Amino acid sequence: MAAKNEQAAAPQQAELTLSRVFDAPRELVFDVWTDPKHLAQWWGPEMFTTPVCRVDARPGGELYIVMRGPDGQEYPMKGVYQEVRRPERLSFTNQAMDGSGVELLEGMTTVSFEALGAKTRVTVRTVMRAKVPQAALALAGMEPGWNQTLDRLGAHLGAAA
Amino acid sequence: MSADALSPVFSALADPTRRAILARLALGESTVKELMEPFDMSPPAITKHLKVLEKAGLISRGREAQWRPCRLEAGPLRGVADWVEDYRRYWEQSFDRLDDYLQKLQGKKRKPHGRKK
Repeated sequence: MAAKNEQAAAPQQAELTLSRVFDAPRELVFDVWTDPKHLAQWWGPEMFTTPVCRVDARPGGELYIVMRGPDGQEYPMKGVYQEVRRPERLSFTNQAMDGSGVELLEGMTTVSFEALGAKTRVTVRTVMRAKVPQAALALAGMEPGWNQTLDRLGAHLGAAA
Repeated sequence: MSADALSPVFSALADPTRRAILARLALGESTVKELMEPFDMSPPAITKHLKVLEKAGLISRGREAQWRPCRLEAGPLRGVADWVEDYRRYWEQSFDRLDDYLQKLQGKKRKPHGRKK
């Protein structure tokens, strides 16, 4: 039953993989991931801007990106490139920080670029590790089982309200 | 909800016993005695967990001296679920923007099924 399943410890690590095919040649897609001029044009959620985008895409090079939300709040992200193999593969560490600069999560993101004729399949795989115990649950939340638990709790409370 | 506001919630939820208590409370409110049974814990141990959950705003407790039933509170859990969902959406939306940007770079028009601006 539910109670038993939830006895499992919150994972300290979680994975997120997303994949999409873009209608553009592989070299171009790779370049818009590594050139700060390009990167600043698309990085981050809708309605966000990228006031700072410093990217040194070579192994050991740093990336530092600040995103600004529609409400003006800024979300800094920093990391170090591990692997830069044009045009097929890119990997970098990335740290998510809270508003006061405390590191919450550390991730390793690998981006692969696969040519499909004139199109390109991009697969982003991020493995996130909790830097602070508080972040462990956020990772647990990335697990389908825990999400369902949250849905169930939410539905129950919605009905009770 | 900001990550700061969520910190006490995350740390309350980092413990498997406390998550199990919440799952139990999702079925309905319970007394401390009822909660003790499935967890095989002493009253002081369970009370300690309940205090952490209460402080994080995840549960509330009735005022009746003897009975003091525990019940789940929705708000903070919604915050956690939102936070996780935000992270997923972050990449989804970056992909949407990347798609648009690549079309623009190549001087192509958005495909008919594309999102309207």
